[in-house]
Amino acid sequence: MLFDETTLRKLNQLTLLASRVRSGAMKGERRSSRRGSSVEFADYRNYTPGDDLRRLDWNIYARLERPFIKLLEEEEDLAVHILIDGSQSMNWGEGDENKFQYALRVAAGLGAITLASGDVLTIGLLQHGKVTAEFGPSRGQASLTRLFRFLERIEPDGETDLNRAMRDYSILPRRAGLVILISDLFANDGYEAGLRQLMGRGHEAALVHVLAPDELDPPLAGDIQLVDIETNQTQDVSLDGGLRERYRTRARAWIQSTQTECRKHNIRYLDVVTSQTWDHVLLLEMRRAGFVK
Amino acid sequence: MQLLTPLALTLAALAIPIILLYMLKLRRKQVSVSSTFLWQKLLREQQANAPWQKLKRNLLLILQLIILAALVFALARPALQVPVVASGSVIVLLDASASMNATDVNPTRFESGRDSVLDLINGLSPASSLTLILVAEKPQTLIAAETDKPLLRQALDNAQATQGVADWKSAFALAAGAGNNSTIVIVSDGGLPESGLPSLPGEVRFIPIGESQNNIAITALALRPAQTSPQLFAEISNYDSTDRNVLLSIYFNDQLIDARQLSLSANSHGSLTIDNLSNASGIYKATITIPNSLNSLNPPNSQSSLNSLDSLPLDNTAFAVFQASTSRRVLLVSKGNLFLEQLLASLPGIQPFRALPAADGTIQIPNDPFDLYIFDGIIPPELPNANLLLVNPLSNPFFEVGGVYNEFQNMQVNQHALTNFVDWSAVHILQAKLVETPPWAETLIESDAGPLVFAGETNGQRVAALTFDLKESDLPLQIAYPILFSNLINYLAPPSAFDATQSLTPGESLSILPQSNVDRIVVASPSNQAYTLSLDQPTFTQTDELGYYAVNFISGDSNHVEYFAVNLFDENESNIQPRETIQIGRATIAPTVSQQIGQRELWTWLAALALLVLMIEWQVFHRRAFPSPFGRGLG
Repeated sequence: MLFDETTLRKLNQLTLLASRVRSGAMKGERRSSRRGSSVEFADYRNYTPGDDLRRLDWNIYARLERPFIKLLEEEEDLAVHILIDGSQSMNWGEGDENKFQYALRVAAGLGAITLASGDVLTIGLLQHGKVTAEFGPSRGQASLTRLFRFLERIEPDGETDLNRAMRDYSILPRRAGLVILISDLFANDGYEAGLRQLMGRGHEAALVHVLAPDELDPPLAGDIQLVDIETNQTQDVSLDGGLRERYRTRARAWIQSTQTECRKHNIRYLDVVTSQTWDHVLLLEMRRAGFVK
Repeated sequence: MQLLTPLALTLAALAIPIILLYMLKLRRKQVSVSSTFLWQKLLREQQANAPWQKLKRNLLLILQLIILAALVFALARPALQVPVVASGSVIVLLDASASMNATDVNPTRFESGRDSVLDLINGLSPASSLTLILVAEKPQTLIAAETDKPLLRQALDNAQATQGVADWKSAFALAAGAGNNSTIVIVSDGGLPESGLPSLPGEVRFIPIGESQNNIAITALALRPAQTSPQLFAEISNYDSTDRNVLLSIYFNDQLIDARQLSLSANSHGSLTIDNLSNASGIYKATITIPNSLNSLNPPNSQSSLNSLDSLPLDNTAFAVFQASTSRRVLLVSKGNLFLEQLLASLPGIQPFRALPAADGTIQIPNDPFDLYIFDGIIPPELPNANLLLVNPLSNPFFEVGGVYNEFQNMQVNQHALTNFVDWSAVHILQAKLVETPPWAETLIESDAGPLVFAGETNGQRVAALTFDLKESDLPLQIAYPILFSNLINYLAPPSAFDATQSLTPGESLSILPQSNVDRIVVASPSNQAYTLSLDQPTFTQTDELGYYAVNFISGDSNHVEYFAVNLFDENESNIQPRETIQIGRATIAPTVSQQIGQRELWTWLAALALLVLMIEWQVFHRRAFPSPFGRGLG
């Protein structure tokens, strides 16, 4: 199991946030764009402050004296797309610090939140420049077990081409929603083009940047040949104290510039080091970064 | 600059394998990382300042090439041409006489001379050889015709200045024997004898040492016996060019007995005599001090000014030994005995005196002490506390004398040092006195009736006795007579083992004539070093130190000590004025300027540079290879 009962209960209380593509705000437009789709009851969820009071189920409120929001399919739920970078570079780190495992946990957490709040969840595994595995779209708590099973099945492999893979993901007609990319961003061609393409399709984008601690501060020294486990490319370096320090500075600057870039394009950004405990990240860091509430 | 073994430069070709190895060497350790993405970015940035980076990356190679270059250059033996005093086959005569201890050159003249020789050694070209002769009382060749500089330096290090007089004649003989066609370099302050030096084969060069002539010396200290008491004579010399006031202190057995102030004008001598000294044996010491208060100094009380007043402290102290009696004084108390008087007059080293009893029979013994008293048929009421020979004795405190007997059967001579070569077979005695040999004495000659001659020591007093009157025997007509009496008198009044009245000069040897009963002779030097002499040829030669020596004659448990003194007393040494020139034969040798070309090799500096760079390279390598102990390798 990816989560124990307590964590799961905590996750259930969280809701993913999307600023633009959200149920209330987009209701009129979406309806008009999806002709023929009926107003259909889907589920109830707890009222949270800020919800449209018109959607409160007054009958339930009268009966139970607790406010519930009546979730209506299509117009009110949020389509959440979680894209996991499944390249070989993600398979780095020992045990709990393995980036791919960490990404799966974050995806599972976010998925659980999505399903618990009645949103539609789609998960895509990006490998070899395309989507090699996909989960969903699914909805409802009942899909949770299936989600976990899906996550336990997938393995990292191959090279990264985030742009191509995200373009591949955007080709299929999908409901616009929140796209969360979980990746180490070790991609020579970058990720911006792919995300921008998805945003062009009406998605709102968020980025969870996963890095292992030794990628920020490599414990290396001397004349060595670095072997990229993803591409098998080699790189000769003569590492002394100075170069190491420059690497650390460079890595910090890279994270900083990525963050700035994301802010500029209205992409929510969270950098995560796998030495942090994942539930801390899910329950605290993500809330702080405005991913969930 | 020239290279002595330029062929070694071919070793520079070793740079090729080093560079090749360096190019091949980087079989880098493979380390897998999740992605080289960031590394590539980083290294791309580094290309911007590539030349410096490239240099830095190749720093180790560059350092290794510098090390190789330094070593190859060192092996090629680069040498600077420097002017030296001599080259080729060089013989150095290094003065090690007393005057070389002068401190006018810091620290001493000898050290300064040593430095000059060291310069000469360092500047020797590889083909040159050097012979080093130390000129002291006994000149010695420290190292002969050697080309190896470390060996030469070691030999030079072992050289020490002495306190004696240099024997230049012997040194010149050594130099002449060391080789023809050599350049002979004399390193000296110039105290060479002005005449009588043999000429030297080859060119002679002179390196003068010394700056100042400030020295005040005791040039004589002697004792002579005067009528009643000994007299001390001292001579002080001022070799300085200014007048000086000095304080002369005289000590007897380390007790100050006299101190006098002397005014000495420049380059003059002053002398004084001191009378009424004690008659006892002992050691006189004279020292001179030059008090600041007596001499105008500017600034006063500073060490340097003291040094400048007297540059050679060695000759400021002198010793003289007074041996109370050099010839043994023997008093014969007799009513008249021609045999004994004749004998005492004929024995060497004996100063005989005679005392006759007065008409009333009383005996007046002189108050002066004597080494030996001979009582012939007389015993005074009070015997002197000295060694005694009793002939035809009366009863006395040492033994009782009985009646007379005239039966002499089985006369025999007992084996004893005192009866050596005594033939008693032809001796006839008319009558003798009946005496019993005391327990402290040994019977030397006896008959059945009793002892005829016995001798022994009681309470530190040596006593011998003949129990018969010489005039009542034919002993004085026999050969045994002088032999027996010589033995007895030598036993009762031992002669001095050596003549200590004259002091020795350093290096002079002293012949010692010990008593026959001496087991061992041990000489203690002024620095308290003990030398045991062989009894076969007891000659003491280690008189290199100035001061007084104690000669211990050890026989059994008793120890008899005599002293002798070694003083410098040499005008050539005390006159420390540096000489401008030296005279050898007819030639006058002027100080030599460096005019020949020598070579100073530089390889040691290059080797040191290589070592230094090697240490830097090691440091660089370590800092690069092991900044932290972690690292994951594929192996």
